[in-house]
Amino acid sequence: MSEQDKITLLSAWMDGQLNEQQRQAFEALCVADADFAARVEQSNALDVCALQFTGQTPPAWDKQASFVPHHQTRHEGGKWQFMPTAAVVFSILAMAISLTNFSIQVENGRLLAGFSLNNKPTMTAESVDQLVQARLADYQQTNQALFEQYVAALQKQQQQNGAQLTEYLLSSSRQERREDFAELIQFINQQRDDDQLFYARQLNNLQQEIYTQNGIPLQQSTPSSNGSVLPNEE
Amino acid sequence: MFEKSDEKLIAKALAGNKSAWFSLINRYEKSVYHYGVRMTGSHHDAADLMQDIFISVFRNLSSYQGTGAFKSWLFRIAHFRCIEFYRRKRPLVSLDECPDVSEQDPGLTPEVAMMGDQSQRHLMQAMQSLPVNQRAVVELKYFGQFTFDEIADQMGLSSNTVKSRLYSALAKLKQSLEVEYV
Repeated sequence: MSEQDKITLLSAWMDGQLNEQQRQAFEALCVADADFAARVEQSNALDVCALQFTGQTPPAWDKQASFVPHHQTRHEGGKWQFMPTAAVVFSILAMAISLTNFSIQVENGRLLAGFSLNNKPTMTAESVDQLVQARLADYQQTNQALFEQYVAALQKQQQQNGAQLTEYLLSSSRQERREDFAELIQFINQQRDDDQLFYARQLNNLQQEIYTQNGIPLQQSTPSSNGSVLPNEE
Repeated sequence: MFEKSDEKLIAKALAGNKSAWFSLINRYEKSVYHYGVRMTGSHHDAADLMQDIFISVFRNLSSYQGTGAFKSWLFRIAHFRCIEFYRRKRPLVSLDECPDVSEQDPGLTPEVAMMGDQSQRHLMQAMQSLPVNQRAVVELKYFGQFTFDEIADQMGLSSNTVKSRLYSALAKLKQSLEVEYV
């Protein structure tokens, strides 16, 4: 059985509204559920306590203080009954003052009260147009100056970038050319050495053939067939 | 037999008849005072609360419609005044919270001890350990003899909440009494 059902049963029992089915359930619960039985027991104890309760008699107190005739109360209350109305009236007055531009001025010992005492000239459409035009011109000038400054700064920056790029390109190409020329000279020198060696060998071979044809023995210093250095090759 | 009804006394009191108002006070003074004693645990506080309740009742007497029993209407005001009393006295303690025994009025025990026999004294002391909201339900149900619907109306709660509070209060009372007897 749920807690809510137990509460309902106990409440119905307290109010003496148990039907037959509820009574059986209540009695069964009292036997089976010790906690529920304890609550029932406690309820009985409270009933007995309430019946036997013998409290003290109340102390004497000023009962007169609690009695204020109602017409008097109304009268006293009436003193302040105008307050809500007054609050509404003052609120409306305050709103009217603020909306109608009501103002009070003290000038040379005179108190002036009225609407729009400052007599500020009302602005015509022309004056508004002039003001707008003046503002626009100012705005345009300011923008112009700003743009000019911006363009000058951009040009300066572009020049600096161009100079830096040119300098870089020049320095880099000069170095590359120098390196290329050095390589070319080295190549030409090597070719010349090779040519000299080639011609020396040709001369040696020719010399050898001439000696062989004329029956002249070869000198010791002539190059041998095993590739040693020939006199023309030195 | 010759006792005037509450409604007649109220009508006379509203018309400015002082003795009618005093008759009405005499009729309910004791029950309101005992309600105060059981709720506050102190005779002194109960006396203050009683005066406060009757002043409040008189001020609102013209708003009594006569639809329900006057006693029920009276105890509704008593309940609200009692709650105000607790809020003033212990503003930081919730009404659903069990009062700390150490925080209780030191004059509580001797005053409660003057009540009836020993079992009554124990029960009164155990009631003081209940949260105010549960104590009020126990008070109105057993000592005020109100129905659950009347209590719910007086406390501005649903009938089920009142029943649930009483169910919890009974368990707590049993627990408190067991501890006291041990």
